[in-house]
Amino acid sequence: MAAMSLLLRAAAACGARRAASGAAGGTRLSGLTGTARLPGTLVPVRHSSSHGKRMFIIKATSFYDKRFLRMLRFYVFLTGIPAALFITYVNIFIGKAELAEIPEGYVPEYWEYYQHPITRWIARYLLDPPEKDYEKEMALLDVEAKKTELRLKELQARKLMRHRGDGPWYHYETPDKNLIDNSMKATPDN
Amino acid sequence: MSEDSDREAYKLPPTRTPHSDRITSVPNPVDLIQTAFSYVVDAPITFVREWIERQQAKNKFYYYHQKFRRVPDLSECLEGDYLCYFEAEAQWRRDRLVDQQIVEIIRERVGACKHREGPNHFQNCAKEMELLAQVTKAYQDRYGDLGVHGNARTCLMKQKHRMMEERKAQASESQ
Repeated sequence: MAAMSLLLRAAAACGARRAASGAAGGTRLSGLTGTARLPGTLVPVRHSSSHGKRMFIIKATSFYDKRFLRMLRFYVFLTGIPAALFITYVNIFIGKAELAEIPEGYVPEYWEYYQHPITRWIARYLLDPPEKDYEKEMALLDVEAKKTELRLKELQARKLMRHRGDGPWYHYETPDKNLIDNSMKATPDN
Repeated sequence: MSEDSDREAYKLPPTRTPHSDRITSVPNPVDLIQTAFSYVVDAPITFVREWIERQQAKNKFYYYHQKFRRVPDLSECLEGDYLCYFEAEAQWRRDRLVDQQIVEIIRERVGACKHREGPNHFQNCAKEMELLAQVTKAYQDRYGDLGVHGNARTCLMKQKHRMMEERKAQASESQ
């Protein structure tokens, strides 16, 4: 009985060590995954160095954690490894651009101002030239400037027309003067 | 970001290690370590690097530093001309980046000079340190306390205030 509690403690220690080594180690290629292995682990037994006692270790499930890590590694490497291989190929076989003085009479294209070949490709085929971006921004500013100008002019026109009354705005409908009944003003004593 | 093109500033003086006459027959262990390092570490890495450079030398291509045209300054823009403001602002930001790099290069030169001279740097680096002091003072005068939201307009206002102070100082001096 006393030995039983010592065995349980040794089994718990073995299970903890196994869980720790399983989390750190990863796949173990020494034992084939298809072969049937008895569950549990061997726990040292006092006075017998040849065999251990096979214990069934009860611990909380690590299935969901392991599954998460497996899925994480899978989806990260699914695009990560091709991207890493492609970038390595570009860096080794194509290489970065060298800095040079602009030759006389030559106007470089807008992508030739970047060093890395992938940056140059992105600038050339995916992005707009910086001159175009500059002009787009200036066009936006121009439209907004014209809008503010027109709005200020409208406010000024409204103010003046209301004040002076000589413009097409601020005309109010009044009833026709022929509809006014002046009969009560005909006699003086009303 | 940018390298100092004046490498003269970083040239170390020639070494004055004396040639030693050997009197013992014990081999120098430093020689053994150096040969081991060169065979185990240096040669493979150099071989791989040179192979990579041979692959890259087959199709060389170049990149350039862009030269921007000068556009009218903020002080030359008419009021309400927002396009002129935009272009002047962009030019001012480029000029500020250039000035920051200039200060950085002068700082690097002073650091290199100090490293080169060792304990004599107080005397021998005086020119570089004077240059650094002037350049930093100029940068501080122009871009100093504008803050992170500083733009061409606030810089122009700062310049205007500087000129007013100068004029006041001149007027009080002449009195």
